[in-house]
Amino acid sequence: MSPLLSVQGVTKRFGGLVAVADVTFDIAPGELVGLIGPNGSGKTTLLNIMSGHLSSEQGTIRLDGEPCTGLKPQRLARRGLMRMFQLTRIFARMNVLDNLLVGGRALGLDAEEANARANALLEELQIAHVRHLDAGQLSGGQMKLLEFGCCFMRTPRLALLDEPFAAIHPTMKEIMSRFIRARHAEGQTFVLVSHDMPVIVELCPRSICMNAGRVLSDGATSQVLAAPAVIEAYLGGAAA
Amino acid sequence: MSGDVRLRREFIATVVLLVLLALLPLVTRDVYWLGVLVVSAYFAILASSWNLLAGFTGQFSLAPAAFAMIGAYGAALSAAYYNVPPLLGLLIGTASAGLIGLVLGRIVMRLRGPYLALTTLSFAEIARLVASNSINITRGDLGLPIEAWFNDRVIWFYVFLGALAFVVCGLYLLLRSQAGLFLEAIRDDEIAAARSGVRIVFWKTAAFAISSAAAGFAGALYAYFASLVTPELGLVQQTGLVVSMSVIGGMGSLIGPVVGAFLVYVTSEWLRDVGGWQLVIFAALVIVFARLFRTGLWGLITTALPPRRRAAGKPA
Repeated sequence: MSPLLSVQGVTKRFGGLVAVADVTFDIAPGELVGLIGPNGSGKTTLLNIMSGHLSSEQGTIRLDGEPCTGLKPQRLARRGLMRMFQLTRIFARMNVLDNLLVGGRALGLDAEEANARANALLEELQIAHVRHLDAGQLSGGQMKLLEFGCCFMRTPRLALLDEPFAAIHPTMKEIMSRFIRARHAEGQTFVLVSHDMPVIVELCPRSICMNAGRVLSDGATSQVLAAPAVIEAYLGGAAA
Repeated sequence: MSGDVRLRREFIATVVLLVLLALLPLVTRDVYWLGVLVVSAYFAILASSWNLLAGFTGQFSLAPAAFAMIGAYGAALSAAYYNVPPLLGLLIGTASAGLIGLVLGRIVMRLRGPYLALTTLSFAEIARLVASNSINITRGDLGLPIEAWFNDRVIWFYVFLGALAFVVCGLYLLLRSQAGLFLEAIRDDEIAAARSGVRIVFWKTAAFAISSAAAGFAGALYAYFASLVTPELGLVQQTGLVVSMSVIGGMGSLIGPVVGAFLVYVTSEWLRDVGGWQLVIFAALVIVFARLFRTGLWGLITTALPPRRRAAGKPA
């Protein structure tokens, strides 16, 4: 099967620091891949390059066989690549419903379809009761759920989720996990960045571990987490 | 409250305000005060056009007065050199400001905050100096005379009020369409808007061009009222007044700049006797509103009103 996403030799430097070094991997349609690694390992930088928020110095990225290196985020969004950020990004002065409608209308849904889709998502994510509140008035967890929902106003071909479970209540974590499991069962493709290892183990059949900008290990999650290099990257000298 | 409901409420309030203003000639026919009301309406159009950029799209431009001046010169030059009738002159003034706004909007679209403000300020000063120094064409600081469209101040008052209503209706229709949704999204978070698929460059440029065209329209109309167009129309102090009116009235609301424009301009004329102190009073008011009441007078009024529908509460 040809890959949905193909990352080939991607490199990004910030001055003298090599944030992402010659990273190569493929993601097949319908995969749910965990992207793990210690802080500063290059996960978010790689996601920024994949979603068009940063340019790379070397390498190519293909989405469904078509080159998409250097495309702007809005063009990638229209090609079905959606991104959730580590630090929540929502439209704080717009109400919750309008936050969702922005993506729906921008991605080509008509007003009626967008409304129906937004309301269904709000119900599924259990934040329908705050749909008329300004998004800036929500709790941190509700904001995360809202941003998560924004990625699914049109079924994406690939969803890049950066730390969706960070600093949220277990109930909300469960709502998101259930959503991801259900969509994955329907064939949706995900890349999930998280430091929450139990969640990675539970959700992701495959994981890629990065360290110092490089891919340290790529394979079945249980094997990746058992690899000595991965253990050492996470625990440093203590593992030796 | 839903964005649509909020916008509709602001639109209805603006219509009510305009109807009340339309009754003023029944109270006074004083030529001086009618002139003050005409200029207030001119500033209300300018402040509303600037509010589309700063309040609804998050682009802090310092060139609204320059675009009004461009619109005024567009009308005056076409009348002086080609004997163009007023309606066509209005169209030329509006289109010239809109086209220049389109080009400038394209240039500044990647700039934000102080960089955008400084670039638009520089453009405004260049435009004013070009008008001032092109003596062979514009007569420089002597001003370019243009035949008045009407001589009756009451007629002028209703013409300006109609023009203001036209601009407010246009903005309302724009903001309640999906364009309004995208512009507000860009204002709140450009990166999140891009992630959602919003065409940032297109919408920011479009907002800049529409705002410039509306300012040009106000300027062109003002040219036919004042019968003389000078580079003073584009002074940065005029822009300062437009910003103050929007901040005091309430940025990011449809009605705020209209309330602010009438309140600030009428009060400043009323305070004319205190000389330079009127500027001190308005500068202090801007500081108070910017620091303590960021939603402006309209925000204060809506906070004081009882909510018509209570939204579900925020969880602990």
